[in-house]
Amino acid sequence: MNHGEANRQARQTILRSIRDHLAASTATDTIYNEIKLNDHVAWSGDESGAKATNTYSLVDLFRESLEAVDGHCIVVESEAEAVQALRGIISDLRETPLRARRIALSDAPLVQQLVSQLDLDFEDVSVVKDAGHMFSYDVGITSAQKAIAETGTLVLDSNSERHRLASLLPPVHIAIIDASQICLTLGEALAHIHQDDGELSATITFITGPSRTADIELTLAIGVHGPQRLYVIVNL
Amino acid sequence: MNHPTAETFHENARVALADEQLRGALRNATSLFGERRLSAARSLNNWEGLRSQAREIKDKVLLNLDTYLEQFVCQAEARGARVHWARDAHEANEVICRLANERRARVVVKSKSMTTEEIHLNDSLEAAGLQVIETDLGEYIIQLAGEAPSHIIVPAIHKTKKQIAELFTARLGIQPTDDVAKLTSTARTILRDRFAAADVGVSGVNFGIAETGTICILENEGNIRLTTSLPSLHIAVMGIEKLLPRFADLDVFLKLLPRSGTGQRLTTYQSLITGTKRRPGDEGPDELHIVLLDNGRSRMLAHPVTRQSLACIRCGACLNACPVYQQIGGHAYGSVYPGPIGAVITPQLSGLARTSQLPYASSLCGACREVCPVKIDIPRLLLHLRSEITQSHERGSDAKGIRSKAERIAFRLWTTVMTRPWLYGMSASVARAMQRLIVRQGRIGKLSKSAARFVPQLGAWTAERDLRPLDTISFRQHWRSELRKAR
Repeated sequence: MNHGEANRQARQTILRSIRDHLAASTATDTIYNEIKLNDHVAWSGDESGAKATNTYSLVDLFRESLEAVDGHCIVVESEAEAVQALRGIISDLRETPLRARRIALSDAPLVQQLVSQLDLDFEDVSVVKDAGHMFSYDVGITSAQKAIAETGTLVLDSNSERHRLASLLPPVHIAIIDASQICLTLGEALAHIHQDDGELSATITFITGPSRTADIELTLAIGVHGPQRLYVIVNL
Repeated sequence: MNHPTAETFHENARVALADEQLRGALRNATSLFGERRLSAARSLNNWEGLRSQAREIKDKVLLNLDTYLEQFVCQAEARGARVHWARDAHEANEVICRLANERRARVVVKSKSMTTEEIHLNDSLEAAGLQVIETDLGEYIIQLAGEAPSHIIVPAIHKTKKQIAELFTARLGIQPTDDVAKLTSTARTILRDRFAAADVGVSGVNFGIAETGTICILENEGNIRLTTSLPSLHIAVMGIEKLLPRFADLDVFLKLLPRSGTGQRLTTYQSLITGTKRRPGDEGPDELHIVLLDNGRSRMLAHPVTRQSLACIRCGACLNACPVYQQIGGHAYGSVYPGPIGAVITPQLSGLARTSQLPYASSLCGACREVCPVKIDIPRLLLHLRSEITQSHERGSDAKGIRSKAERIAFRLWTTVMTRPWLYGMSASVARAMQRLIVRQGRIGKLSKSAARFVPQLGAWTAERDLRPLDTISFRQHWRSELRKAR
């Protein structure tokens, strides 16, 4: 018997088992009838405890949420300031063992443009095509497609930008976003990602702070597999 | 390595209770997670509403599971994923080993997945000649030690950093250290090397979205992103019950799961994977295979009480809340799924015959039901399973029931007394008179050997804890005298 045939048989057995067992439950089942009738499950909007946006700007809330999970947030008012912030972060990193000499970039035009204005010496600044090479970089610089204020989350969409590994393998991840990309809630971000007729990207990644673990005696350790530092520059 | 089994639960529990270090670690972990869960739940003003909503969504999925599964498969395959159906653990392992072997794979990196623990995938992969590396830090530690996870969220909760340091020194040859940051970075360095060499990445799945064919996986460390991004083949193993109807349903479950599990508002990373990469030059694996596992799950659909076990999202909140788990930890259950949810899932997955002690590993206090983000009535399930055990015992099957002849007589006597007020009053007076023989300083402590032999049930109770004696005045006497005063 070939694998395709075996798979078809397994599929049929499982589906039949599901149907038979569900049918067996109907006699004793009150939920069953309720749910079958009420086809569309009731949906209440987002009622999370996020602060009202009119008194509290999305950017401030985003920064507060990000800092609460050990991320760093720098708010700038122009592209020139963004370049300056980037230079500041990299110069500071050079005082640490994190080096910041080899920089991996995503292919976002904004990232290229800002980095080209940095007057710093590097061993390497490039868009890394080969995954195997990405291991040796010190810093990854990317943009993001959306951000969530109430959780301090970046939303990365793999079809829009090549940033899957640049945001993951280097010990430092710097993301540059525009304030207009920030939405208030997780629900809004999900609705934006998946619009009614739109296709989803192959991979969408939500990032909330640097990589962390508490697997040894519940002691927090930052940067176990992913970046140990996360900076987000928000351009107003 | 010899792992305890569910058949010897009572002995396992006794061993665990004698382990002071384990109990200290459990105390810290369960109380910390309990507090964090509570404050995270309070950060939302509609927690109870969310729980009901989540349960409604899950009920809807389970009642239409065949339809949603077919929708999920259709959507995922339309976007380049390949789906394999596995009736049991054996079939699942076979598919995964075959996929790896066909590609001449040598190194498999794994991210934490209860489902792959359930099917003992590592053993199969190793038997097929592959090197398997667990990449979640906690799982990596217990893999090095040759042990099993003891908690759903913190697998190595039973180990101290000193033990882990000794393990790393022995197995990885590092200098002894008790610095958690150093231990963590050691693991990072070694695992980075394995990630670079890996041919296959195996992950679990937290949620599958029927509407879009998306799989969603949550984590904090980043090893799942590495597992699902670097190797050219990604295999995701998913129980058939993991579905949600719509993409937007994630909103509800991404609020509930991290808060219930670790007390976070969101875990550090969520990976939402929909099919394979769209352009050949894109980052990510070339192939995505999803293995749908039944392994006893469809059977649970047959009754509304057992069916709710399939609503579980594996957050671990019931473990932390359970006074039994808090004392004995995960290993004592002798099963992949520990704690209250394990005590109901394990017997259903692997049959009551060898797991009949598990449904009794509970005082039915209801703490698990209170914290469950999808409102699973675990005490009800435990009672349901207990009654099944009793019935199968009476039918003379091999499941070990506990209703002995003496117990049946005792219950008949109890019924006689409790349904006749005069007899109840009389018996209570007799008991009140008799207990004077054993009450010491206002409580009934450990019985003498001869007394324990005379009333073995009471002896068993007082061997471990005190019993509160009956009040010297009965409630009815109180009531009458208060009424008299009122007049």
